[in-house]
Amino acid sequence: MNTLTRILLKFSEKIVEQPIISKVILELKMPLNIITANINSKSGEVLLEVPEEELNTVIKAFRKKGVTVSLPKLIEVDCEKCINCGSCVTLCPVEAITLTEDSSIIFDKEKCLGSTCSACVDACPARAIKSVKQGSADVSAKPH
Amino acid sequence: MEEEALNSHNKTRTIEEINQKIRKGDAQVLAAEEMKRLVESSGVEVAFKEVDVVTTGTFGAMCSSGAIINLGHSDPPIKIDNAWINGVPICHPGAAVDLYIGATAMSAAQPYEYGGGHVIEDLVNGKEVELKAQAYGTDCYPRTQLNTRLTKNDLNQFYLLNFRNCYQHYNCAVNSRDETIYTYMGKLLPRMKNATYSGAGELNPLMNDPDYETIGIGTRIFLGGGQGYVIGEGTQHEACSQNGTLMVRGDAKKMNTEFLRGATFTRYGTTLYIGLGIPIPILNEGLVKKTAIRDEEIFTNVVDYGVPRRDRPKLAKVNYKELKSGSVTVGERKIRVSSLSSLKTARKVASTLKDWIDRGEFFLSAPVERLPLDSKFKPMKQTEATSFVANVMQAAVTCTENEDVSAIAKRIVTKSVNHIVVVDEQGKLSGIVTSWDLTRALAEGKTGLTDIVSRRVFTAKPDEPLETASKRMAQHKISALPVIDNSRKVLGIVTSEDISKLMGK
Repeated sequence: MNTLTRILLKFSEKIVEQPIISKVILELKMPLNIITANINSKSGEVLLEVPEEELNTVIKAFRKKGVTVSLPKLIEVDCEKCINCGSCVTLCPVEAITLTEDSSIIFDKEKCLGSTCSACVDACPARAIKSVKQGSADVSAKPH
Repeated sequence: MEEEALNSHNKTRTIEEINQKIRKGDAQVLAAEEMKRLVESSGVEVAFKEVDVVTTGTFGAMCSSGAIINLGHSDPPIKIDNAWINGVPICHPGAAVDLYIGATAMSAAQPYEYGGGHVIEDLVNGKEVELKAQAYGTDCYPRTQLNTRLTKNDLNQFYLLNFRNCYQHYNCAVNSRDETIYTYMGKLLPRMKNATYSGAGELNPLMNDPDYETIGIGTRIFLGGGQGYVIGEGTQHEACSQNGTLMVRGDAKKMNTEFLRGATFTRYGTTLYIGLGIPIPILNEGLVKKTAIRDEEIFTNVVDYGVPRRDRPKLAKVNYKELKSGSVTVGERKIRVSSLSSLKTARKVASTLKDWIDRGEFFLSAPVERLPLDSKFKPMKQTEATSFVANVMQAAVTCTENEDVSAIAKRIVTKSVNHIVVVDEQGKLSGIVTSWDLTRALAEGKTGLTDIVSRRVFTAKPDEPLETASKRMAQHKISALPVIDNSRKVLGIVTSEDISKLMGK
């Protein structure tokens, strides 16, 4: 299976009403997976999943149409700081944070929506959850 | 030999007998969850014969905590008037150099992020902290300014001194409002999309001795990874409603940060997470039954923290088994629930205490005095009346969906108001139109109500304190809130004008 990478598209007020994603899909003849979308009349923010080997082509296509493209920040859990309280669990809309049998917190980086969601970050009493830039440090630190 | 014979016939044993067994290394100690399984499988009689001590534990945010420290005297000496450690204001409750670090005091430079709880954690961790102090200066204590750096080893005394810990059980919190709220029960999503709870349920020390038969003044306990004592009932203690609490003390120099952590609740403040465990001596079969209590027998209320009142609505009754399962049912709805306290660390507290007793490092103590069983937690006596939305709200001027802009404009003029509340046939809120919206309609040539109505309406409830309604208006830069009931039926309107009039009185 192809590795997928997530990119964050930002649409300004000027272009927010145009069907840009559809155009890029037709142009590149490539399926693009929308993970989250937050759009109103003033601006739009869309989290997109694209095949890694096509990343540059996709980014170029969007930039050509005036879209700001960036790599979304990832959510990182500092296991040293985590006190396994569970405050974050119910805030996650995609069940990326779960409790094990012995009541430890498990964070599934693959499921996590990243900084576009961040619902758990300000709920952590131990401040063990942070959003970090992609490519910085090792973000794959697993709780176990 | 004599002693053993006594035990096999009698239906009781004493704390001294248990301590002798601990000394010899043959006391039988079970952690609370193991005890429950044993009683379930083998019955009360067998459990009484086989078990001497049951260890319990809890690990959660306990805001009414703090540490008393003694700094020793500086030269020239100072009688501290104001003090800060790492920027956190510290109380000066006594004479010259005794300070109390309250867990919820916050740093002015990093409010909500760093506070007394973190200072205590840093000290326990062996870190150096920065002390600043001011004084007015006296003949005997001439110094007026002090700056120094300290670790726990530089302190004469460093004792955790917590006036309310170890709540027997606590509420499960939800939020009925349309907005996310940040509380001491954590982040609560709008329209009851999540629930939080606190407490270890069947592992909680007080739940395993609900009649305070063995827990009293002088009971030796596990506190923050070290040993401590119960020094009395906690403030707000109410044993008869299963709302018992403890006042405790322990040597913080011997604690460790696995069981003591500074913490932060966004927009609420800082606090301290503490691990607290109590060994329950199994003195009789009654205590076997009590320590056999299960999560499904421990009930608590689902409480609506969206209502900013002392007596918040109780929406449902749930037990700790449901809470620990991850979802609770309120009416027809299933709501995801998670804890704020750590069950994992609560178990670790109970098992660590068990290890200490097994290794002969911890002995039980009989209470020198019982804790009160009949005390009541009274509400505050208030001598000043508080204003609520119901006190100032007025009848709302309303319109229906199918009216046109000119009719609404007329009503604004004749009734001399700025807000028209849009309602449906049942009188339920469906939008709001302001005089500003009408001006815009005129400027843009719009004639239909649907073109100008605001659908996202901020509202108030009649029993809400005026202060919170006022805050909501300021936060969203609006000047009125329709007042609605739980079914969104419009009861009236409260405006910033009416509030200012009241305040001006």
